[in-house]
Amino acid sequence: MDTDNRPPLFSSWNGWYVLVASVLIFLLIFFYWLTQSYA
Amino acid sequence: MSVLDWVVLVGTLLFIVVFGIYRTRGKQDMDSYLKGGYSFRWWTVGLSVMATQASAITFLSTPGEAFENGMGFVQFYLGLPLAMIVLSITFIPIYYRLKVYTAYEFLENRFDIKTRLLAAFLFLVQRGLAAGITIFAPSIILSTILGWRLSVTTLIIGVVVIIYTVSGGTKAVSQTQKQQMAVMLGGMIVAVFVILNLLPQDVSFGDAIDVAGYMGKLDIINLEFSLSDRYNIWSGIAGGFFLQLAYFGTDQSQVQRYLTGQSITQSRLGLIMNGLLKVPMQFLILMVGILVFVFYQFYQPPLFFIEKGQESVVQSEYAGQWEQLDQQHQQVFEEKRENIQALLNQIEQGDEVAVAGTRQRIMALEEETQDLKAQAREVVTQANPNNETEDADYVFLTFVMRYFPQGMVGLLLAVIFSAAMSSTASELNALGTTTTIDFYRRTIRPDASDGHYLRMSRWFILSWGIIAIIFASLASLADNLIEFVNLVGSLFYGTILGIFLTAFYIRHVRAKATFWAALVAEGIVLLLFLFFRDQIGYLWYNFIGCALMVLIGLLLQAVLSRTSNS
Repeated sequence: MDTDNRPPLFSSWNGWYVLVASVLIFLLIFFYWLTQSYA
Repeated sequence: MSVLDWVVLVGTLLFIVVFGIYRTRGKQDMDSYLKGGYSFRWWTVGLSVMATQASAITFLSTPGEAFENGMGFVQFYLGLPLAMIVLSITFIPIYYRLKVYTAYEFLENRFDIKTRLLAAFLFLVQRGLAAGITIFAPSIILSTILGWRLSVTTLIIGVVVIIYTVSGGTKAVSQTQKQQMAVMLGGMIVAVFVILNLLPQDVSFGDAIDVAGYMGKLDIINLEFSLSDRYNIWSGIAGGFFLQLAYFGTDQSQVQRYLTGQSITQSRLGLIMNGLLKVPMQFLILMVGILVFVFYQFYQPPLFFIEKGQESVVQSEYAGQWEQLDQQHQQVFEEKRENIQALLNQIEQGDEVAVAGTRQRIMALEEETQDLKAQAREVVTQANPNNETEDADYVFLTFVMRYFPQGMVGLLLAVIFSAAMSSTASELNALGTTTTIDFYRRTIRPDASDGHYLRMSRWFILSWGIIAIIFASLASLADNLIEFVNLVGSLFYGTILGIFLTAFYIRHVRAKATFWAALVAEGIVLLLFLFFRDQIGYLWYNFIGCALMVLIGLLLQAVLSRTSNS
């Protein structure tokens, strides 16, 4: 087992978690916009 | 099916299985057989996790769900990305530090053997039943549509999965899942383009979205809070978060997948990949169902999507009634099609008043269509009470068989068989591992050699595979079995998650308080289900069970600490 624990691209894992949360927020906004477009 | 379809279907499935076995050939020890020898990079971990969750029913029922009820189902997955973050922060580092084979080993480390065996037992019961259903559910649909015997589809899925899971273990499961997931995603993307190509020449993708939107199929987000609602944003984010956390964090069929990562980094990235791609993937699968819905606004759909049911009516005394319903259905369809064409012209001209009026007419006609379909279902039941009446699961595959070009039918069938095999393989792999590690090695033969446990793992996986096939073969005898299995999952997941969350985050709560809290919480959940099943949507049981387990654990620990102090 490799003991490496460093995240790629970001300086800490928080960067990746913020990315996941941001994509979720983007999707929520997109879905809400789509819903409202035909409401 | 054409020869080309057979070549694509058999070729794809054979290639995946043979390639998987070939890549994982060679001598194995217990570590590589049950944990994949910590050998996989993040993309294999991520695809394996996604393939485990995506069963055949995902690809059969989800488009049907969109066809019937629109895109609202996507809300079910909104809690998943947040669950991936919590798993990456808490669960993965602990599992790696303890070098566990199963999630339940950790519970003995933190509490005691009682709690470990309780959680492992609940998993075996729940997942053992689910493995049979994972094979049975697509088998019944595939056999109905393809005209094959149910036992043939059940055996194809079951036997092939047993062969590569028993021979190659965890490595073969992850390796084949990578290919299977590529086929599934590729197949669905191809399906979108094929359906768009089948729409009338003058109907663009934008027009298709407009038709779906104006007919209420794009009502994705429901902001109204209701406990009894199946899908709204609150049950999706809160209930879905707890469900996904329980599933990915405490269900061995998922834990085993991400423990194959080369390191904590690779496993975390695999879960993050799942967190980023899962919601868009479900959106894509639902979109396929929406496009099929739009297609059937321009081309006459069948009154009832299960041909077998339709045939039994035509050969019965209800044939006249059926013909009448069918004619009415065709008339309503023609009128609706003209109105939809008019709606698209009015949208293009920007005539909002006319759009509103036409939309109202279309919705009234759609209501009439639904009414005729409900009447048709009644006739199907009258003709033969044993006939299946819920035809939503059959919509997509019936459409594929009728309209897809040669070769593409084989590809779409390969998608469905791949999905059935990938989720079944993970389940059998996990059931065999838990039986070996948590029960056999821990309570029956603690001092045997590595080779002995490896042999026993193979036997246990084989046994669970045979049980799953037998269960899948018997499933057709019981009407409510699928509902029962889904329910068992929802009723137990919350309590199991509560045990794990207490273990991870509430350090001062000890074994005795946790064990009794688990039993009391489970009892309350079962009572709630018995007396309030109509008032509480099933997703909420995950949240309720988990919250009760944690709160009762805290209370019991406080009482026990006070008693021991005094």
